[in-house]
Amino acid sequence: MNNTEHQTGKASTLQVAKAVFWSFLGIRKKDDLDRDAKMIKPHQVVIGGIIGGVIFVLSILTLVKVVTS
Amino acid sequence: MAVVQDVHGHHDHHPSGIMRWVMTTNHKDIGTLYLWFSFAMFLVGGFLAMGIRAELFMPGIQILEPELFNSFTTLHGLIMVFGAIMPAFVGLANWQVPMMIGAPDMAFARMNNWSFWLLPVAGMLLISSFFVPGGAAAGGWTFYPPLSAQGGLGVDMMIFAIHILGASSIMGAINIITTILNMRAPGMTLMKMPMFVWTWLITAYLLVLVMPVLAGTVTMLLTDRHFGTSFFNAAGGGDPVLFQHIFWFFGHPEVYIMILPAFGIVSEIVPTFSRKPLFGYASMVYATASIAILSCIVWAHHMFTAGMPTVGQLFFMYATMLIAVPTGVKVFNWTATMWRGSLTFETPMLFAIGFIFLFVIGGFSGVICAIVPIDIQVQDTYYVIAHFHYVLVSGALFAIFGGVYYWLPKWCGRMYDVKLANMHFWLSMIFFNVAFFVQHFLGLAGMPRRIPDYSLQFADFNMISSIGAFGFGLSQILFLYIVIKCIRSGEKAADKPWEGANTLEWTLPSPAPYHSFETPPVIK
Amino acid sequence: MTQSVTNINVTMLKKLLIFSAIMFGFGYALVPMYEKFCEVTGINNLLQPNAVDKNIKVDMSRTIAIELDANVRGMPWQFKPLQSSVKIHPGESIEVMYEIRNMSDQEFTGQAIPSYSPRFLEKYLKKFECFCFTKQVLKPGEVRQMPVKFVIDPEIPVDVNTVTISYTFFALQPGK
Repeated sequence: MNNTEHQTGKASTLQVAKAVFWSFLGIRKKDDLDRDAKMIKPHQVVIGGIIGGVIFVLSILTLVKVVTS
Repeated sequence: MAVVQDVHGHHDHHPSGIMRWVMTTNHKDIGTLYLWFSFAMFLVGGFLAMGIRAELFMPGIQILEPELFNSFTTLHGLIMVFGAIMPAFVGLANWQVPMMIGAPDMAFARMNNWSFWLLPVAGMLLISSFFVPGGAAAGGWTFYPPLSAQGGLGVDMMIFAIHILGASSIMGAINIITTILNMRAPGMTLMKMPMFVWTWLITAYLLVLVMPVLAGTVTMLLTDRHFGTSFFNAAGGGDPVLFQHIFWFFGHPEVYIMILPAFGIVSEIVPTFSRKPLFGYASMVYATASIAILSCIVWAHHMFTAGMPTVGQLFFMYATMLIAVPTGVKVFNWTATMWRGSLTFETPMLFAIGFIFLFVIGGFSGVICAIVPIDIQVQDTYYVIAHFHYVLVSGALFAIFGGVYYWLPKWCGRMYDVKLANMHFWLSMIFFNVAFFVQHFLGLAGMPRRIPDYSLQFADFNMISSIGAFGFGLSQILFLYIVIKCIRSGEKAADKPWEGANTLEWTLPSPAPYHSFETPPVIK
Repeated sequence: MTQSVTNINVTMLKKLLIFSAIMFGFGYALVPMYEKFCEVTGINNLLQPNAVDKNIKVDMSRTIAIELDANVRGMPWQFKPLQSSVKIHPGESIEVMYEIRNMSDQEFTGQAIPSYSPRFLEKYLKKFECFCFTKQVLKPGEVRQMPVKFVIDPEIPVDVNTVTISYTFFALQPGK
């Protein structure tokens, strides 16, 4: 972990989670987006996206289980 | 926007005549080749469509024998999807992406040439498969086994053509990703990129994600046919339903591959003619990404009737319906962009508005098809045909027409005949709806797809639909005439023929010089 | 284009090519994943014996007629059930016999694939033994009698009185 990363600011897990959540809905404020673009690294988005996708799939599955039970 | 450019940059020699086109590594030449190729394939696919509609003009078998009819529907689908729509978008990307991000050319110019020249080979394979013993593939464009495990040489030619088309698409996508990520002009951050570039970036990622899976599927089919494997052969312990899963794992992202660049084109055209910046640029980017992700987890909604547990059906039904959310965000953003703008209705804008209007109809019938009980009723009927022609013809194709009319003055430095172009729009719009709107009714009444004959109660609507289809087909000849007339004798176009346009390509002279942005422009 | 940009581009090209190759492999990986998924969820296990509860109760109040059917695809074999139909009580185990005969002077390998009517019978039909669990190899002129042992789950809906069990033999040519 080097210093430059700290200077540009490293996105917190929560921030990545937020960005991924909003991307699922497809809406994002311009300011937040600019901040995301500056702070979040591509690999964070990919990992966040995969986790988000799994959560999304699991939540639909849960909903289906509730409906069919 | 301060831009430095090299107008007189013809310092290297390039061969003239036919060799110019064969050897070219220039993104503009290759873009032109892609566009002409896709138009040629569009005419071939259109000819097949005319054959289908002529046969369906009246009940009974008049023109095409059932086997040939099946080949027509199969090849119509394959040629339109892989030969017309996809290469047209790649052609637009070749022309526009470097100019819109201020790059001198594509990242891998020689690979670009190769990925184009694979296409005519595949196209010839598909077309010539009609003339081999046994005829062309006739099992539908989705080539499900066991039908596609049977069949003769025509099926093998189709498989080989799909391999080639897949390789071409993967190379094209890699080229586009690398160009967009590495070759943007200084100051062009990702979030300043035009929407068309954004949608193509995401589309290109989808392409490298799913095209190899399709290549794997057809390879499995090929080894099943000739090398004794049994991936899909029930007798050998394989499973034909497995094919459907793998095919649609490719196939559903594929439909978004064909619509996301269309979203991009419309997102360029609408702000230009509304004279306002795009409403919710950030949302647009996020919605595009969202659609791309969701598209990968909804494939099995194409196979609700193939046998699936209720849990599976409900999962895919819910996931599919959720795609309407980001898509809705896009539609609202376009309408909000137009809201209180100073609208003018030039040809590209007409096509863009036509796109939004008709794509929404197609989107809604898509949500209807996503509902399992309804889908079980309408699957493989003309309702589904109507649905996907609304999203692919009035969606993808209208956006391509809009894009061509938008950028044609930049490409050839001449203006097209606006009256004729508007007439092309109105003819397409009216005949398209005549051809396809009635197919909703036919489908709901139970007319099955891919059958050359039908019962008498469907006769009237089929005749209307065929008349619409002939009209739509003829209108496209007008398009060819407009483009040729524009190239040969159009009036000189201004560097920036649309006052509301403000992306980078409009800072170049018209026609765009053979080498543009050799010195990168500086974006403030 | 400067040298450094070319290098970055080539790196990118390599990464994306590797990614495409992985996705090509993923297409193939879907095959075992699919089979595993079906096995775990219990969908589509036509060719394996079922585990049966030993304490299954025989429902003497009902009788189900089972029609037996046999077909051959693409082989010079004769294939038939020794009895065209049987009547059983749900929960009662039964054995039926089929016979195959190789009518040609060549050795053939075949695989039988079951098919049921009504379709949901699959859920209630528990097979302990079936010739369809393995490949069958017949020498020229050979005749073989083969059993199927099964039980029908008493949970089967009450309105079902007649069911059909059909087997089709497909040719499996080794080495082709």
